Amino acid sequence: MIQKKICLLGAFAVGKTSLVKRLVSGIFSDKYLTTVGVKIDQKKLSIRGQDLMMVIWDLYGDDDFQKVRASYLQGSSGYILVIDGTRKETVDVAGKLHELAQKTIGPVPFVLLLNKHDLVDEWVVECPMVSDLRDQACLVSMVSAKTGEGVEAAFTALSEAMLRS
Amino acid sequence: MERTRRSSPVSPPLEYAKEGTEDFSVLRRLLLAPEQVQLDRLRQRLDTFVVGPEEVSNVLPDAIRLRAQQDNRLLASMVPITQEALALSIKQSPQLISDSIAPILGSAIRKALSRAMREMLQSLNQTLEYSMSWQGLQWRWEAWKTGRPFVEVVLLHTLRFRVEQLFLIHKKTGLLLNHVMAEGISSQGEAAISGMLTAIQDFVRDSFQQSQDEGLESLRIGDLTVWIEQGSSAILATVIRGTPPVKLRDVLQNTLDSLHAQYSDSLKNFQGDTAVFLETRPFLEDCLQAQFVKKQKGLPVAFLVLCALLLALLGWWAYHASLHHQQWTEFLKRIGAEPGIVVTSIQEEEGRRVLHGWRDPLAVDPERLLEEVGYSSNAVGFHLEPFIALTPEMVHKRAIQVLQPPESVEVSIEGNRIVLMGESSHRWISRVDQSAMAIPGVSEISMERLIDTDVKQFETLRNALEQQAIFFLEGQGRLPDRELVKTQQVKHILQELDKEAVKLGRELSIDVMGYSSPVGSQSINLLLSEMRAKKVLDILSEPPYQVLKLAAMGKGVDPDGTSVAGEEKGYARSRRVSFKVVEAKTIHPPREAGVRKGP
Ligand SMILES: Nc1nc2c(ncn2[C@@H]2O[C@H](COP(=O)(O)OP(=O)(O)O)[C@@H](O)[C@H]2O)c(=O)[nH]1
Ligand SMILES: [Mg+2]
Repeated sequence: MIQKKICLLGAFAVGKTSLVKRLVSGIFSDKYLTTVGVKIDQKKLSIRGQDLMMVIWDLYGDDDFQKVRASYLQGSSGYILVIDGTRKETVDVAGKLHELAQKTIGPVPFVLLLNKHDLVDEWVVECPMVSDLRDQACLVSMVSAKTGEGVEAAFTALSEAMLRS
Repeated sequence: MERTRRSSPVSPPLEYAKEGTEDFSVLRRLLLAPEQVQLDRLRQRLDTFVVGPEEVSNVLPDAIRLRAQQDNRLLASMVPITQEALALSIKQSPQLISDSIAPILGSAIRKALSRAMREMLQSLNQTLEYSMSWQGLQWRWEAWKTGRPFVEVVLLHTLRFRVEQLFLIHKKTGLLLNHVMAEGISSQGEAAISGMLTAIQDFVRDSFQQSQDEGLESLRIGDLTVWIEQGSSAILATVIRGTPPVKLRDVLQNTLDSLHAQYSDSLKNFQGDTAVFLETRPFLEDCLQAQFVKKQKGLPVAFLVLCALLLALLGWWAYHASLHHQQWTEFLKRIGAEPGIVVTSIQEEEGRRVLHGWRDPLAVDPERLLEEVGYSSNAVGFHLEPFIALTPEMVHKRAIQVLQPPESVEVSIEGNRIVLMGESSHRWISRVDQSAMAIPGVSEISMERLIDTDVKQFETLRNALEQQAIFFLEGQGRLPDRELVKTQQVKHILQELDKEAVKLGRELSIDVMGYSSPVGSQSINLLLSEMRAKKVLDILSEPPYQVLKLAAMGKGVDPDGTSVAGEEKGYARSRRVSFKVVEAKTIHPPREAGVRKGP
């Protein structure tokens, strides 16, 4: 069995934890996020006949991205960058976190998720803002942790990218 | 050679002296000859330097050790050669290899088997040991309450420590390389737990600014301990229940070290494919150790108490069973000897014993016999037909029942004869003959020694009466006062006689006989005697009697009086009235004294 560690990165309250919850019902409670700064879940996927155990690290961070422990990023084979479509500033944070990730773990695949698509009417983030990231990401997707839209597909896409690399 | 040269330093200079011509050379030779020789020889050795096998053999063991400590390149270079050598060796002399491997394999297999056996026996033993004790009962209760299997509860309580899970974790990624669990442990989310263990380590390390090599060594959560062994690229997290011994740590560390040595390349190049680490399973499983609390030797107290109770119960039961048996045989003996009861068979019917046979209604109640021996009466039933027994005892019983003899009469049976002894009223005796003959088994009656109290009384009264005499004065028919009183006594006797006669069914006449003394003329004397008899009769006639009849008669001169003739005293005794009972033995059935009213 192949195992891969991935991280969820994004500003505070963009919906990282909600996205993971959409995918799995984990064994650890959310309180680990605030105490240890991370909550880990596992999700078994089958990608083209290949079993893959995805170990998802949901990192806790308020808007000061430096508080994300670099050590938690270590060993990741990919990551998910989350932006809250209703908050412009989350784009900046995502960019910085992306830089940090690339610096710490190297050029690994990532997907860029614009979350809260169900609130699309309130969106303030526009495409040009994310063009930099968009070029590097293996997938850019508008998702909603609330409705579940695009969530599984995003994880699958990242898995495929990781297996390819 | 060397030795010779050194010991005689004079000879070489002589040799050089022959060769050289210059003085300087000579001088040099003279001064430095020994050193020169040594230098020459050194140069020669350096020019032709080859490491001899001797030198290599001296350093080879240490060299290998040193290099192995430094890195595993030596190992790497040895592997292919060793493998080839081994392959060749097997090809050339397979017997040799199989001979040398056999003992190892054999013992390994034995070890594995015995371990499996031991584990099985241990859990069996524990279950058995504890299932009997008080402790065991408590645990059974606990198992019942918590719904867990009893074996598991026993395990939890008797465990000193038990390694429940091992996580072999890739250090950099926190990914789970392999995972083993003790039997009965269920786990979920090992991959996530593995990541979490790494994260917590990082967290602690970062929080307290420890270097990369340091790490969390153990965690404690309630009864669980997690020991974390650090390696350069992998960590081994061990979940232990209970209190593990320190030496377990060495085992774990050694395991991790040897895994590192074996999988160093795979660990370095780990990309998430854990397939290669599947082979680590046996090593990890070796660490799944456990130790149980030793039970003190000897039988548990509760078990002993239980045994004692059982024994006591058994004893009690045996005692009662034997008592029961004793009572039963006693009962059979008694009922067998009991007159008027004949047991023909004993049958078991619906869990109780039923006696079949015959019983005289006058025989003892068999239930009472049961009661007397103490046997519980509802365990026995009776099916006894009534019959009349002719055994002497039963005939006697029946005689008593039929005849109802007064206490003064003794009844006995001699063969078919009934013997009556003692005394009884005339009324009872007069009926007894007839009644006795109606008793089955009686054909004769013997009453020789049976006294009729009424007859006896009658005789007594008759004697008393006949001894009475009423005396008159000379020549007179008149009664003196003294004699008048006597007549009252006579009257009383007569009344009693009258009653007895009624009882005996006799007609009774009493002769009232008057006498006179020989003094005087015969005719006068006759008259006088008659007069006297009538006088007494008159007095005694009132009140009337039931059957008694009085007859007065003058007897003239008293015939007895003559024997004492001449004496006034004798004559006086002749002037009298005497009585004589004349029985008229009419035979008629006796009647109640009060029934008969007058003649
Ligand atoms: N409407 C809507 N709300 C969302 C969505 N995803 C997350 N939220 C809400 O955003 C808040 C923060 O979410 P959380 O998952 O804790 O964000 P995190 O800090 O990135 O882990 C919560 O109140 C969520 O209910 C979404 O797709 N739609
Ligand atoms: Mg969160």
